[in-house]
Amino acid sequence: MSDLSLALAQTRYAVRGFLRDPTALGFTAFFPILLLLLFNAIFKGSTNFNGGHVPAPSYYTASIIGYEIMLVSFASLLVRVTTNRERGLLKRFRGTPMPSWVYLFSEIARTLIVVVTTVAILVAVGAIFYHVHLAAHLMIGLVTYTVAGVFSFSALALALTRVTATADAASAVGPLAATILAFLSGVFIPVAIMPSWMLNLGKVFPLEHMARGLQTAFLVPGSTGVTGIDLGVMLLWGVAGLVVAVSSFRWEPLASGGR
Amino acid sequence: MSTSNVKVVNRVVSVEGLRKSYGDRERLHGISFEVRAGEILGFLGTNGAGKTTTIEILEGYRPYNGGSVSVLGVNPAHATRAWRNRIGLVLQECELDPVYTVRETVTIFSRYFRRATDVAATIEAVGLSSKANDRVGQLSGGQKRRLDVAVGLVGDPEILFLDEPTTGLDPIARREMWTMIEGLRDAGKTIFLTTHYMDEAEHLADRIIILRDGEIAAQGTAEELSATLGHQTAITFDAVAGLNLDELRVVMGRPVSLVDGLVHFESADVQHDLRTLLRWARKGHVTLANLQAVQPSLDDVFVQLAGESVGDRREVEP
Repeated sequence: MSDLSLALAQTRYAVRGFLRDPTALGFTAFFPILLLLLFNAIFKGSTNFNGGHVPAPSYYTASIIGYEIMLVSFASLLVRVTTNRERGLLKRFRGTPMPSWVYLFSEIARTLIVVVTTVAILVAVGAIFYHVHLAAHLMIGLVTYTVAGVFSFSALALALTRVTATADAASAVGPLAATILAFLSGVFIPVAIMPSWMLNLGKVFPLEHMARGLQTAFLVPGSTGVTGIDLGVMLLWGVAGLVVAVSSFRWEPLASGGR
Repeated sequence: MSTSNVKVVNRVVSVEGLRKSYGDRERLHGISFEVRAGEILGFLGTNGAGKTTTIEILEGYRPYNGGSVSVLGVNPAHATRAWRNRIGLVLQECELDPVYTVRETVTIFSRYFRRATDVAATIEAVGLSSKANDRVGQLSGGQKRRLDVAVGLVGDPEILFLDEPTTGLDPIARREMWTMIEGLRDAGKTIFLTTHYMDEAEHLADRIIILRDGEIAAQGTAEELSATLGHQTAITFDAVAGLNLDELRVVMGRPVSLVDGLVHFESADVQHDLRTLLRWARKGHVTLANLQAVQPSLDDVFVQLAGESVGDRREVEP
């Protein structure tokens, strides 16, 4: 079996495991759809964006897609890798001839598959219920930010596993970080009604840039939403995460002292 | 391995003067031993003796500070993929993912190895055929541990490392694990087994090494280890009122102690000493209630060599 086919087999195995985990499935697949329906039931009508009036449902469709990308790539990946490491599974894998990259590839590929599937569902919900028009510029922006988001947030999640010793810690830190950033980034609350200091704080982090890029692609006619600064900040975080992950990733449980 | 007239001792593992420190503290003080092809080596020690440190060095997980280590002719500190294809591991603590079935778990691990054995045969070998389609999360503790062994075996390793395979198992699951390991021994597998149960080492291992505080306290077959304790048998009986211990010491010609209402002394010639004791008792009209002569067991060897009690299995404290 070649390494590539091994990597694909490991990915299928990871996807199957994900589908059998009701917590992960509910949290990353159903929860965001619920959020989208809830926000659109609460905030009806229009909001201000980029100097004009835009329909709130389209705004939230774009925002929740951004949130979903972070939830799966960051929170869910952080929990899964930390859990497997705490179980001693990563150490076990490390003791087999499987190359290390195969495991990491499978987790990131699984992440990408889950993101693409759930984002497609959210886009479909937006198109069917909230009059989101799937124009070419929107699709270009969506694909660009999905790929950049999976890269950046996955790298950050792998970097953060260096400090999340237990699955409990990861389950607290991952969703908490995603939720706080969602508030700071105009995901849950429209940017038009947010204090500017909060928006400025949000701009430091990658979610704000991904959300704004997606909102622009969804709301501004003819615009892909892809800008050098938004994509640049995201990739900068991603590369920083990757550097930390590569230099500090641990395969053995962190809590164990090791005799 | 042997040919018709030349017996070749094939060393699968050889360790010379192995040292390992964590910070300022040295945990292994230059230990040497070997594992021969086709044998089960029982590596015995109390918690903290250095068993896991040693096995993890052999498995390629830990660097070491001094001495030389060779596993299948390779220094595990420079583990290669080709080498990993030849060894099998069962770690002390590893919880396999509960959402997969037994068959799925063994199958995915079989893909990591160049020459994996048949998945169904491997599941059969650990006695889990009837559970092949069950999720790992539904298995009992003993079944999970045996699945762990299947995962260690599926690459058809030349040596299998078993790190405390029965710790935490109930007595029945433990027996089942033993039966399974005996099956592996009969199949000619070379196994490095760590345990803190003397009876387990005695039952399964061809040779036993007792590790104490990072040093080898004793090694040999179970019989050889028993012999190292000498032939001292403990003779005990219930103390009665008015017993003259000093007189008994003179009669027996050796130290006699009184512990928890039991009179106790050691004997190298039980027949002779019992005769002396009975004669003294008859003369002094002493009733020797609950008279016992207890041969040292391997547990006693272990307790004595390991330097600390592993539970009060003995009725009489020496």
